Amino acid sequence: MSSKGLAKAKDIYANRAGRVRELKAEGKKIMGYVCAYPPLEMVTAMDYAPIRVIGSMDEPITKADTQVPSIICPMLRSMLDLGMKGKADFVEDFIGAHTCDCAEKFCHLYQHNMQFPYYHFLDVPHIAHKASFGFMKAGFQLFQKTLEAHTGKKLDPDRLKQEVKKHNAQRALVRELYGLRRQDPPLLSGSENLQIMLALLSIPIEEGSGMLKDIIAEVKARKDGPKKKAARLLLWGSPLTETSIIDMIESLNANVVMDDICTGTRHFWPDVEMTSDPLDGLAKRYLDDLKCPRTFRETTSSFEEDQEVRFGYIKDYAKEWNVNGVILQSMKYCDTHGYEVPAIKAYFDRLGIPSLYLEHEYTMVALAPLKTRVEAFIEMIS
Amino acid sequence: MAEEKKKRAITRLESSALVRPLVNKMYMEGALAGMEERPVAWSMVNWWEGDIIMRAMGVTPVYPENFGTVCAALGIAQKYMGVSAAEGFPTHLCGYAQNTIGYTTEMKREGKVPEGAPMGGMAQPTFMLCSEGYCDARFKWFQSLRQFWNVPVWTLPFPHPVYTDPSLQDVHKVNVEYMAVELQGFIAFLENLLKKKLDRDKLEAMLNNQEKVFKVWWEINELRKAKPCPMHARDFWTMMVPCFYTAYDPETLAVYQQVYNEVKARVDNGIGAIPDEKYRLVFAELPPWHSLGFFDKLAERGWNFAAESASYHPPPPMELNGGGDLPYRIARWTYWSYINTGYRAAKMGYPAVGAAQPYYNWAVEYKIDGILTHPLVTCRTATFWHTHSMNVLRDKLDIPGMSIQGDIVDLTVFDAATALNQAPAFEESMDHFRKVRKSKGLDW
Amino acid sequence: MYFAGIDIGSTMTKIVIMDDEINSQVIGPTGAEHRHLANKVMEEALSKAGIAFDELTYVVATGYGRINVPFADKQITEITCHAKGVSSIFPSARTVIDIGGQDAKGIKIAGGKVVDFVMNDKCAAGTGRFLEVIADALGLKLEEMGELSLQSKEKVRISNTCTIFAEQEIVSKIADGVPIEDILAGLHEAIASRVFHMAEKMKIEKDVAMTGGVAKNVGMVKALEDLLGFPVLIAREPLLTGAIGAAILGKELVIKALEKGEAIEKGARLLEAASFFK
Repeated sequence: MSSKGLAKAKDIYANRAGRVRELKAEGKKIMGYVCAYPPLEMVTAMDYAPIRVIGSMDEPITKADTQVPSIICPMLRSMLDLGMKGKADFVEDFIGAHTCDCAEKFCHLYQHNMQFPYYHFLDVPHIAHKASFGFMKAGFQLFQKTLEAHTGKKLDPDRLKQEVKKHNAQRALVRELYGLRRQDPPLLSGSENLQIMLALLSIPIEEGSGMLKDIIAEVKARKDGPKKKAARLLLWGSPLTETSIIDMIESLNANVVMDDICTGTRHFWPDVEMTSDPLDGLAKRYLDDLKCPRTFRETTSSFEEDQEVRFGYIKDYAKEWNVNGVILQSMKYCDTHGYEVPAIKAYFDRLGIPSLYLEHEYTMVALAPLKTRVEAFIEMIS
Repeated sequence: MAEEKKKRAITRLESSALVRPLVNKMYMEGALAGMEERPVAWSMVNWWEGDIIMRAMGVTPVYPENFGTVCAALGIAQKYMGVSAAEGFPTHLCGYAQNTIGYTTEMKREGKVPEGAPMGGMAQPTFMLCSEGYCDARFKWFQSLRQFWNVPVWTLPFPHPVYTDPSLQDVHKVNVEYMAVELQGFIAFLENLLKKKLDRDKLEAMLNNQEKVFKVWWEINELRKAKPCPMHARDFWTMMVPCFYTAYDPETLAVYQQVYNEVKARVDNGIGAIPDEKYRLVFAELPPWHSLGFFDKLAERGWNFAAESASYHPPPPMELNGGGDLPYRIARWTYWSYINTGYRAAKMGYPAVGAAQPYYNWAVEYKIDGILTHPLVTCRTATFWHTHSMNVLRDKLDIPGMSIQGDIVDLTVFDAATALNQAPAFEESMDHFRKVRKSKGLDW
Repeated sequence: MYFAGIDIGSTMTKIVIMDDEINSQVIGPTGAEHRHLANKVMEEALSKAGIAFDELTYVVATGYGRINVPFADKQITEITCHAKGVSSIFPSARTVIDIGGQDAKGIKIAGGKVVDFVMNDKCAAGTGRFLEVIADALGLKLEEMGELSLQSKEKVRISNTCTIFAEQEIVSKIADGVPIEDILAGLHEAIASRVFHMAEKMKIEKDVAMTGGVAKNVGMVKALEDLLGFPVLIAREPLLTGAIGAAILGKELVIKALEKGEAIEKGARLLEAASFFK
């Protein structure tokens, strides 16, 4: 791949399978994984390139219907469909994780259909009690055992610590990139940002960090960034794997300046704390610091305080990125985010930040009704 | 004038009528505890992981999940679901959750059990017990209820290992130990909340009774292997309720023993649950509670259901040697309920077929002609594996499958007429595959 | 100064021309090619008002087809326009319930501005479409459905919420001899109920104004009022509130620009039938 910076991110976004196949041809071992929960530091410490398995909003689902009913998460159905059609053939080995109901089951069904030589399933707890961290760590230890057995190599704890540093370094660069949207107008668009994040999920960590450095320099110097618009929006909810919804929003009088989705900040934001046994730091970061509604946050002395525990970090985003509206989006059949909607909407109402909830079907088409709602929302807040 | 009394298509077990008072008692106890301001906990099916501990400490559990099935059967759920939607909850969420949210909204609005709530409604909780078991709704739903009830919440862990065969003992050990440690935490939580100590002798006595109930209930379901099948799925769905919610109670054991006697007598006398068993089916996974009469129509065609709802079936008896460590004993049983079908397959030499294992095991042991699946709009957990299960039964055992879309609670998405229209074609399919199996040397 | 508001809905196109009050109004059916139609309707409205196109200071387009109006200066969503239109007619209105041929909306207003809204544009069963489908199936005129439903002595419940299944259910009830007015009462209640529950998400506040073509159906008005527990406000011509609001918003934009001494940004203003494909 010869392009650099923003152009490179665009190219990878447009053809991620192409880039991953290049990597394979160069001799890289590819470990596919789902969601944001597998400990990627352990994956790279064993010399794999972690590539997140995602769906496509652009590909009509056909083959997956022979394996799974239609009323489940459309993104997971798409992931299965792409796999069955051979469009994810760059994945050699695979890590699944118990993230949400459908994802848990998807992982086993995916393995059943794809028959990867190595498949490991991480049983991530939904609660973060004291004993849950031990349980999470035991899960990592088991993962280490099976991966060592498969590769014939041992995982070196010092190497693992180096990987933690490398991954944290990339996270710092991601946070720096997001910081460039604090100003008004933001220096890059929400669509560009999503393309970059999706590109990062498709290439090795060092390559991603290199790309980020180029992008940050490029963006800081650019003259052709987004225009100032009435609405500065934060986008919350289900993962997005194409820019269509953000494109639609940004075609109106709005800039998407921040997000809380797992193909965005959720994947990259928290660092791993360096602990003497690196697995402890990893367990804490992946179980507790990673923000996703699939994890149950302990209740407090009031519902308002519960909301603060669950959503307080988003309030901080909204403040620091000077957000004047929130778009809450989730895909149809996403129960994990569906349950959150009334509570998070009430939270933003209390903070005086207007919000709009959109349910979509994880496709590129039929965006017109959503567009009218977003347009009316922007009219409302301007 | 003589009006021929229409012969009921399904001969329900007489002893299933004995279950009704057990369920009524459960609801009455909840209402009474509420009125007398004694501790009430909103709980759910958690595969026997937590409620018996609460009971031993004098807490009365109330079950919104079961309340959802009651509201569905009485056609009241639609109203509560409408209220839930007006509160901004998406309509694809668990039907029981929507029903509860709607009920609770009304209860808060009226300041008491709402007008028209069946079974005396559900009393206000002192605390709520969530579970990680099987589906995320089991903690997301009660988390949502915090909008209405500012009461403590405890969540029980529930590992979901992919390795369910006996080979990975170290995985099983870690899982059970984690659950047991958490149960100790749960006991500490209760002791602190209720300001009293757990009476371990009382708990042990309840556990002993519970285990006897499981054993009898297991044996009853084993008897259904007989031809013709003596007990229909409709009786299972009635009788599974006390097993989940009141297995600590000696009255429950007495009722199940009567059920056993009746089923055994039917087997000894060759009596089936339906007059003319032409086909033996399994049903996956949860029924349309609002339209159970649908099964009577199928019974008229000779369809008998010998097994159903795998995740709600009791596991086989097991030596629970945890010694005096009651949390460990409880954890082990709950965990066993999740992994036992993998053990069975390994023992019997069946192929490992993942999540389709319970249905595979049953297909062989109950000599099944077809699988009927019911995808549920509001329950992905009980729907996800349907297609795979049908594929496995067809590919490995030459057993055909049929799918009828609907929901547990929302009656507007279930179309019985269309489903019945498909029956003759499916019967032809079942006839055909019977021949195929015979030609391959299988004996059913 | 003259201002025009054009509301291109999926079934009807509405135009209002006003200065200090409404000079002309036109309502016509929307064809498949609404761009094509829009300029014809505009010409009719201009002729009725007795003014030329160039005399229009500002034109705002709203509704489903608003992006395909080549002579509009600005597009504003029907939500904002209905809120403005209703506020100008009923200053006490806090909630708008709009039921059209293809969709239904709920809008909360404070000080003439939108503060919340909900929409149903996915499911036909909560819109005028449901009435049309059943009118067709029973061989009735859409306009007589409402009156007929009021004659019911015993409303019948329609249990299917999907238009397709409900049609089958209704036809079989007719065959069973259920009185048609009882079925229609049930039908009206079913639609009102869906719209009501949708609107409840915003916490309905009095006064409630009902707009859209379905507001002309007396049976629907009664069904909705029964659910609300109080009467609703209905404009003399409930189809026009969007176009009225659009015109007023245009006027407000121009006045604000004049006060600030800013230039008024206008569109290309091509009063012609544009080709369908750009």
